[in-house]
Amino acid sequence: MVEIGHFALVLAFALSLVQTIVPLFGARLNNQRLMAVGGPVAVTGFALTALSFVALAGAYANSDFSVANVWENSHSLQPLIYKITGTWGNHEGSMLLWVLILTFFGALVAAFGSNLPATLRANVLAVQGTIGAAFFLFILATSNPFIRLNPAPIEGRDLNPVLQDLGLAIHPPLLYLGYVGFSICFSFSVAALIEGRIDASWARWVRPWTLVAWMFLTGGIAMGSYWAYYELGWGGFWFWDPVENASFMPWLAGTALLHSAIVMEKRSALKIWTLLLAILTFSLSLLGTFLVRSGVLTSVHAFATDPTRGVFILCILTLFIGGSLALFALRASRLTAGGLFHPISREGALVLNNLFLTTATATVLVGTLYPLALEALTGDKISVGAPFFDLTFGPLMLPLLVLVPFGPLLAWKRGDVIAASQRLMAAFALALAAMLVTGLFIDGASVFAALGIGLAVWLVTGALTDLAIKSGVGSVAPAVMVRRFAGLPRSVFGTALAHLGLGLTLLGIVATLSFGTEKILTMRAGETVELSGHTLRFVGLYPAQGPNYSEDRGRFDLIGVSGSPVGEISSAKRFYPVRQMTTTESGIKTLGLSQLYISLGDEGKDGSVVVRLWWKPLVALIWGGGLTMMAGAAMSLMDRRLRVGAPSRRRKQAVAPAGLP
Amino acid sequence: MLFWVIAAILTLGASLAVLLPLAGGSRGASSSGDHDLEVYRDQLSELDRDAARGLIQPAEAAEARAEIARRILRLDSADQAGKTSARQASVTARLIATMAVLAVPLVSWGLYSQIGSPDLPSQPLSERLAKNPADSSVDELVARAEAHLAANPSDGRGWEVLAPVYLRMQRFSDAVAAYRNAIRLDGDSAVRQAGLGEAVAGAAGGVVSADAQDAFEAALKLDPANMKARFYLAMALAQEGRNKEAITAWQAMLGTLPPDSPWRGAVEQALAKSGTPEVASSAAAKGPDAAEIDAASSMSPQDREAMINTMVASLDEKLRQNPRDAEGWMRLVRSYVVLGKADQARDALGRAIAVFGAGSDEAKKFTAFAASLGLTATE
Repeated sequence: MVEIGHFALVLAFALSLVQTIVPLFGARLNNQRLMAVGGPVAVTGFALTALSFVALAGAYANSDFSVANVWENSHSLQPLIYKITGTWGNHEGSMLLWVLILTFFGALVAAFGSNLPATLRANVLAVQGTIGAAFFLFILATSNPFIRLNPAPIEGRDLNPVLQDLGLAIHPPLLYLGYVGFSICFSFSVAALIEGRIDASWARWVRPWTLVAWMFLTGGIAMGSYWAYYELGWGGFWFWDPVENASFMPWLAGTALLHSAIVMEKRSALKIWTLLLAILTFSLSLLGTFLVRSGVLTSVHAFATDPTRGVFILCILTLFIGGSLALFALRASRLTAGGLFHPISREGALVLNNLFLTTATATVLVGTLYPLALEALTGDKISVGAPFFDLTFGPLMLPLLVLVPFGPLLAWKRGDVIAASQRLMAAFALALAAMLVTGLFIDGASVFAALGIGLAVWLVTGALTDLAIKSGVGSVAPAVMVRRFAGLPRSVFGTALAHLGLGLTLLGIVATLSFGTEKILTMRAGETVELSGHTLRFVGLYPAQGPNYSEDRGRFDLIGVSGSPVGEISSAKRFYPVRQMTTTESGIKTLGLSQLYISLGDEGKDGSVVVRLWWKPLVALIWGGGLTMMAGAAMSLMDRRLRVGAPSRRRKQAVAPAGLP
Repeated sequence: MLFWVIAAILTLGASLAVLLPLAGGSRGASSSGDHDLEVYRDQLSELDRDAARGLIQPAEAAEARAEIARRILRLDSADQAGKTSARQASVTARLIATMAVLAVPLVSWGLYSQIGSPDLPSQPLSERLAKNPADSSVDELVARAEAHLAANPSDGRGWEVLAPVYLRMQRFSDAVAAYRNAIRLDGDSAVRQAGLGEAVAGAAGGVVSADAQDAFEAALKLDPANMKARFYLAMALAQEGRNKEAITAWQAMLGTLPPDSPWRGAVEQALAKSGTPEVASSAAAKGPDAAEIDAASSMSPQDREAMINTMVASLDEKLRQNPRDAEGWMRLVRSYVVLGKADQARDALGRAIAVFGAGSDEAKKFTAFAASLGLTATE
């Protein structure tokens, strides 16, 4: 079975070569048969990659230590779920997951692409095949998960304990669905540049793909942030760590791409923007893969001493980013401009949005790459952390967030700012009230808290205002209003939900940063501690044995007003003997949208334990907002606009004249 | 065999995916113009919906409608101009098609024959553990015992059987855990305590630490005739530099040992080497050679000590000139500890850490190693 998987992988590589070359020439020669090869090959390639992945996952599930990759990253005592998720908890397996998703999306284009013009479809599949070929080659040449060991060792080296966690089991697949989803947008853009023209159906296809990719990337980032929050035991949710930035940059660029694609789909404007953003977004996804996978982040020097993988990814990066940008420079001028619009209009607002988001992406890029460049050139190690991003990224986001509620209220082609402002009066009043309440009653010292809360309320009420106005609140009878509300296009709900989610996330961040409290103390069994109105009693430290670890579990009782326990929280320190590693399992109690967070520190000789306690008000909103954004994207995906049928000859005859004015 | 059949079927399937579309008839595919028209039609109806909802002003809506109409007109003229013949390209097309069909089996079988291991079957752990014990390697037997104990962790007898096997395999920390479990579940016994002591000493690289001594003493309390415990306690004396006491203890052992006891050889050997207890035995790689040890054992005690000091000093000197030798540093630190020169050991440890940098992996290894010898870096 293992070798079948290996063979299937090699076969998938061979097919990806065919997929690269044959449809491309087919489109050039306008040969239907050559172009038709793309579809079946893409679907078969996906089936083979899936077979290969299943074979590897099977080897993990069965603890087949004759596979070197399994031996390095698994242990027979691990619970089955972590045996299986261990498949992508390491470099080789995660790259296999990467191409699996890539070929999956390619197969989707092949399967549902019948309403695309044949040459566009062929070119898209060819570009997709090129990406696939490059990554298959990368896997086979430098990161083959199917290398065998003979004789096989009897026990594995265990998966990194930090990764033995459900959050991290879901995080990479979500993130990769996002990263790789943008490859479709990239392929469409490069295909359009190869053809030298953009079909009208182009934008119809790119928008849903952008939405899908953006939705998964949002989920992946939120999941990664939550994982870091509860697993690393520091209670922080965002560290401006290069690995996080690597996923955040494609998200920012992807957000701009999403908005740009909307304009292009509806109004055929912003073609150049959309193409460029699609290329940049996927380039940043590749860069993210490079940063995380080449090992350049852990140590520039380690990277320099064993550069095979890194150099290979660097070549892939140069080929795709350089190649696509060169193609863009050559062909962009040939593309015809689309619909016209005035500066003050929905289109204009979205251009502004794109400018802000791309600039923000650039600042994050600088903050992420500068330390690496400096270390490579001078050997100095510096870390660019929160202070840098607070000073650069923050001020850029502030005006953008203020402007967000205006966008959906401006009309296409020519908008009216004054009318939009009048409609937003209620939202503005509420935001102002929230600022005053925060400033006067909760925390008068912090300007940041008041401003932040006000801004968050402004975003939330702004998004709701949009829905209210569009369903005619205040101008029509309630019955009509309900009917209109139900009849609104799903994409309107999508916009409102996404903007609402942004507001919620902001609210969670500001509340946690401004009103959160923290205590570090030494506790003995039976002692109590109070934090922001919650009383906790340390019950004691109990040893326990897990399947592949031993732990000391500290139990805490949450004491209610009456003095009796109303809840229990436990936090543990685990020791994994195979890797000789200790991890902290934080104890979290969710009360409403806020959380009590406990993390155990070192144990004293006299039975005392260092305990870190945090009170994190509204912290759940940070990820709740992310989920809301995902829901918005899902809503928008269900919009009827996305269901454009394939042309049929008879219908064309009948309808075309009717379409003319 | 089965593998080759499946591989052949997969190859056939993949080749068909390329071949079938090439062989299929050229369906009259719609031109891109048809697709565009479909989209424009939809854009027009959407414009009407937006206008009805007031999302676009009537004047702008009319303008947009005209824009879309212009695009439709442009489409018709482009469509008529764009019909070209693809006849002359058919030779190239056929060439590409042939290459593509051939590429699939050639690339896949060629590449796989280079990197694959087709003869190696899958080896799921459960299958390996289920086969006849007589065919299993020691590793597999141990793994089977481990699996059994993972399922029945309170089987004291199992731990007791496994512990000495771990010792022999030099998996000392596992042996420590196994002996501790056996003692916890089945109670104290001299054999278990002595085994625990040996395992603890093994984990510390042969140094009979305080923990190990505790275990051996516990064993002696249960059974004063336990030879392993007596042997190692004497070894501890030797390692602390109390050679005379060690030799007395070993000689007392010799007196009580029956002539065919397996310990006799070990004790005699230890007595022979008792001048150079740890430096010699554990530093086999670069320690003194056999001739030097012979020379040492026939020397007077003073000469012997001088010789050991010379050897340690030469190691020290070597490390000054050639400091990036982690193994060497550890040997030096241990030598000083064994010679009872704690200050010099500490100094050597400090220098070793300075060479590799305070935060480095080596430095951590040194600190841990020194701690296992009962030495701390800072005073």
